[in-house]
Amino acid sequence: MIAAGLVVAWELAVRGGLINARLLPPPTAVIDALGNLLAEPKMARNISVTLAQALLAILIACPLGLLFGIALAENRRLAQVFDPFLYFAFSVPKSIFLPMFILAFGIGFGQKVMFGVFSAIFIAVLTTEAAVNGVPQHLVRAARAFGASRTQIYTRIYVPAMLPSLIEGLRLAMIFNITGVIFAEMYASREGLGHMIAFWGEYFMLPELLAGITIAAFLSIVVNEALRWMENRVGRWRE
Amino acid sequence: MNPSITDAELLVEAVSHEYEMRGNSVKALDEISLAVPPRRFVGIVGPSGCGKSSLLMMMAGLIRPSQGRIVLDGVPITDPVPTKIGVVFQDASLFPWKTAQENVEFPLELQGISREKRKATAEVMLELVGLLDFGGRYPHELSGGMKQRVAIARGLGQDPRILLMDEPFAALDEQTRMTMGHELLRIWDRTHKTVVFVTHSLTEAVYLCDEVLVMSPRPGRLLDRIEIDLPRPRTYEMMATEQFGRLRDRIWRLIRTEQTAP
Repeated sequence: MIAAGLVVAWELAVRGGLINARLLPPPTAVIDALGNLLAEPKMARNISVTLAQALLAILIACPLGLLFGIALAENRRLAQVFDPFLYFAFSVPKSIFLPMFILAFGIGFGQKVMFGVFSAIFIAVLTTEAAVNGVPQHLVRAARAFGASRTQIYTRIYVPAMLPSLIEGLRLAMIFNITGVIFAEMYASREGLGHMIAFWGEYFMLPELLAGITIAAFLSIVVNEALRWMENRVGRWRE
Repeated sequence: MNPSITDAELLVEAVSHEYEMRGNSVKALDEISLAVPPRRFVGIVGPSGCGKSSLLMMMAGLIRPSQGRIVLDGVPITDPVPTKIGVVFQDASLFPWKTAQENVEFPLELQGISREKRKATAEVMLELVGLLDFGGRYPHELSGGMKQRVAIARGLGQDPRILLMDEPFAALDEQTRMTMGHELLRIWDRTHKTVVFVTHSLTEAVYLCDEVLVMSPRPGRLLDRIEIDLPRPRTYEMMATEQFGRLRDRIWRLIRTEQTAP
């Protein structure tokens, strides 16, 4: 309701001359542009390139993050060495490393995937480590008292106890990952959604730019909400 | 030291325990020996930090004593023996992602018991603790008292001979605690397990137990064994009797003398 009201107000403001249509085109113009873009096969190609890069990046980042996170949680010495480094790395904006990625990997598909992995892996490691450390030890003790073997403790206690946090970590990693991939495309690329958005901006094609933003936002929201739905589903038992 | 030592169910033989804390060795238990006779309700009381819970965890096979041993059926306990010993923990320790019914089934599942048998047993146990209609609830949907009932049902599920209870009602309010004590006696009366019950409530100890073992402050030693010769079934009215007061007072004196001694 509120969103619809805002769109109507925006349309009226532009038509009434309150806002310069060259700086902010009215929603009807954006919708027109959106329709035209979605009908173009080139656009479908750009969207699928971005999605493929993000998907591949998350498929690499998450298993790696899981592996390192578990290793750090299970090994105190390893954690003492690497935890400070991880926290620092996490706090530094990943974008400042982008020129180095271009020097090392060029500006193609692989470089976007590498940068997506780089953007997502720190949060993946940290959330996994926190998820392992967050497994209540009194539940492990109870399972042992009932005769659970080591394997059973991992599969029957650690996995279900960690699952909601891991999916939450995946969701956060996905946000960082998409941000990284699109940013890398905007900075230097020949295709992809980010590349198109940067191009429209440069050439002052505002209806297309806003339509591109809408597509990127829509895709991000869909992914995020799907993961949040999963997180709530497997975490129903949490208060 | 104990006339029933020959037919004891569980024997604690000169058990000492030390643990490391910030590089220092802390002595928690000092050469404890005791015998738990079969089908008795035995209480262990003592000031906090006296190692009574550690002793119970050793009986459960969850901690290994630094010295001495704990013997069940002539075999020293080194690991949990879930088919013979059930445990009820202070914080209930229910698995929050499992319903009440699934929690009770869990130990049976670990033993590889079939689904139908598990379900049937769990229902019998939930019925025993008065929660048959709550099997589908998750722990966070249950009150503190109900959680402990589920924990008791889970502890009894494998039909162990011994039930170890580590301050199971400590987190409950006074009224719930009284009700739960009464409930536990009703359940015990129907199952007649050997119970070892750790508590810091003297009233609870006298009300529930056949005998109470009194421990000293750390390092925990056994100060005395007090026979609770109140008739059974126990009733709330007994708490007001002179005999009840005398027994509780005796335990209190033992603990207080030890604490104020230089």
